[in-house]
Amino acid sequence: MTRALMSSALMTSAPVTSAPVIKGTRRAWRWLALALALTLLALPGLLPMPASAHETSLGVLELREVRQGAYMGRWTMEPAFGTARIDLRLPRQCFVQLPQVLCGKQGLVGPITVGNLGANMSAVMIRILPMTGEPHSYTLTSANPVATVMAAGAPTLGTWLDLAPTYINYGIDHILLGADHLLFVLGLIWIVRGGWRLAKTITAFTIGHSLALAAAAFGLIGVAERPLNACIALSIVFVAVEMVKDLRGQPGLTARYPWAVAGAFGLVHGIGFASALANLGLERNLLPPALLFFNIGVEIGQLGFVLLVLALIAAHRRLGAVLPAWGAVLPAYAIGTVSSFWFLGRLLRMLAAT
Amino acid sequence: MNIRLRQSLQRGGALVALILAQGAAAHEQAGVAGGLVSGFLHPITGLDHLVAMVAVGLWGAQLGAPALWVLPVTFPLVMALGGVLGVLGVPLPMPELVIALSALVLGGAVAVRLRAPFGVAALLVAVFAVFHGHAHGVELPKAANPLAYGIGFVLATGLLHGCGITLGLLTRWPQGDRLVRALGAAIALLGTDFLATGLRML
Amino acid sequence: MTPPTMTARPWLLALVLLLAPGLAEAHIIAARLGDFYTGALHPLTDPQDIVLWLALALFAGSLGPGRARWLVLLMPLGLLAGFLLQVTLGIGQIGALGAAGLMVGLGLLLASGLATGLAAGNRLFGGAVLLVTATSGASNAAGMAPEANATLFAAGLASAGYVVITLLLAAIVALRWPSTDTSGTAGWRAIVLRVCGSWIAAIGLMIGGFALKSLAGV
Repeated sequence: MTRALMSSALMTSAPVTSAPVIKGTRRAWRWLALALALTLLALPGLLPMPASAHETSLGVLELREVRQGAYMGRWTMEPAFGTARIDLRLPRQCFVQLPQVLCGKQGLVGPITVGNLGANMSAVMIRILPMTGEPHSYTLTSANPVATVMAAGAPTLGTWLDLAPTYINYGIDHILLGADHLLFVLGLIWIVRGGWRLAKTITAFTIGHSLALAAAAFGLIGVAERPLNACIALSIVFVAVEMVKDLRGQPGLTARYPWAVAGAFGLVHGIGFASALANLGLERNLLPPALLFFNIGVEIGQLGFVLLVLALIAAHRRLGAVLPAWGAVLPAYAIGTVSSFWFLGRLLRMLAAT
Repeated sequence: MNIRLRQSLQRGGALVALILAQGAAAHEQAGVAGGLVSGFLHPITGLDHLVAMVAVGLWGAQLGAPALWVLPVTFPLVMALGGVLGVLGVPLPMPELVIALSALVLGGAVAVRLRAPFGVAALLVAVFAVFHGHAHGVELPKAANPLAYGIGFVLATGLLHGCGITLGLLTRWPQGDRLVRALGAAIALLGTDFLATGLRML
Repeated sequence: MTPPTMTARPWLLALVLLLAPGLAEAHIIAARLGDFYTGALHPLTDPQDIVLWLALALFAGSLGPGRARWLVLLMPLGLLAGFLLQVTLGIGQIGALGAAGLMVGLGLLLASGLATGLAAGNRLFGGAVLLVTATSGASNAAGMAPEANATLFAAGLASAGYVVITLLLAAIVALRWPSTDTSGTAGWRAIVLRVCGSWIAAIGLMIGGFALKSLAGV
């Protein structure tokens, strides 16, 4: 499929003069269309994809103070289904008639919420730009649909604590929807099996992705999203290969140094987490607490998943419901197939974008 | 005295219900949670039901096998038959009085350690079970979610039996045996009180 | 070597953790996490599914680990079959009266302890699995929102069925068939299962009565 894509790129750049070339171009285009259609059909449909889930459903509303207590509202990023259906509710003293918002002497201070977050829209960010002082951003999700706008002044401990539920929940959602991250963790558990070694491995993965998440969120490292997603898929292919090796009695890198592999790939996955946070467009002075709480949420989700898998493994042992000898490699091949499929799909997307 | 006790128990039950329902009340699933809570609390907040169920467990433990395990297995079934009558609105004669009588008779049996033949004990308990089930069954169609109500009421009744049987294990020791008989006497006294109140109401 | 109650604990804990948030906040989680998790949580918010799954797990567990382990595989497959039946042909649901009948039947089989000794145990087990899983799959499919992605919803439903039934079965098998029975508690262990069966039959009886009353329109 990749070859078809490459050839099509070559064909289109060639001058279209003679009939055979046109014919070849058409055939290549047909291949490309087929490949793209298959990818588009399969990727968002089969399994939840973190990137696409968050990209399409976000809306950003900017409220700029034009005179004391009066604001002009503008959608700087429109949610996928338009702005008309959004049920925006501002504090009581505010009179909303977008684009105008009149809040009187008190100003825009108090709870803001979007009543119909859900089905198609996972998050709305509201940026408030007062005449004096710093601009502020508030992220509303269906889990935390209410944010409280505070009076002007430096962010206090209270501000930070207000952020906690929003970002912890956002982190939990992100890891639960990140089938690729979960599949990688599943592969690690499969190879390391359990006990103290597993605890060390999961800790290494956690440290790795926390470091990378922080570095990426503060802009120390920047990686384009599409190649990164392909890399994440490739890391799962790697783990699947290691699972097969392990079954053949050739302990691979993961079996010997699980913490090193987990830590190294944790770096890659961490940058992936950061791109989800970056989509929310947070201001810098709120970034550290948001990062912290987002990461806590990711760890909560990950720990829950690990505990569930361990409980299921114990349950299978107790029931004697284990795979027969001929089927022992099936899970490895299943993980490998799915992740290879993701890798090829993401590679195609990456190449299609360039 | 018993009315005040019952009121305070009901108030306590309402508080528990409030706490249990708090998380769910605001959501769509209020029906399920509401039904579950009301079903669970119905046998517990009615003191006459509560003591009679504990007495069944105590007596079963005193009688030993096979009553010890036949009772908890068959009681829910017989009770459900009474429950069906209640659901269908089939009236039973003087249900309040018979339920009060059940506390008196079962408590008395525990107090005197009545060694009734198994068949007689089973028949007696079965008749009372039908009346208890009837009282719960009448409330079922009014519940927010009838199935959840049924789950809650069956769970609560089973747990009360468990309490009775566990307490009844004390009969292995002489001190414990005396305690169990004292409990039976207390239940019989409460039953007399309920009966007297019920007769006055007539 | 560990006492059976100790080995049963992690599964019970996992089950509680799994069910606790599901009951109250299912629709919030659904809105946040999309159709896969909506499908996974849908059966856990329906008391009818909870009682039927529990009855099936108890019944399978009472027959011993040898038969019970098949349910790990058959449960998700049966759910998917029922889901497909409902989505394509619109059949498979048995209504409140049918569900009540299933509860009474499974509960009585369990309470009487009959199925363990029956020669037809295998057929009985197969029939129970087919009926419960297919009707449950169909009723969940019927409860699916029209705009939901059916593939994701079905995958979530099957995953939930697998996870819940595996954890439940392990807890029940550990309770009923401990690997080392030291203190002669086998009699008690069987009775606990029979009492559970009796409770389920009792619930089924009353719900059946209610369903009849509703049908008659009294």
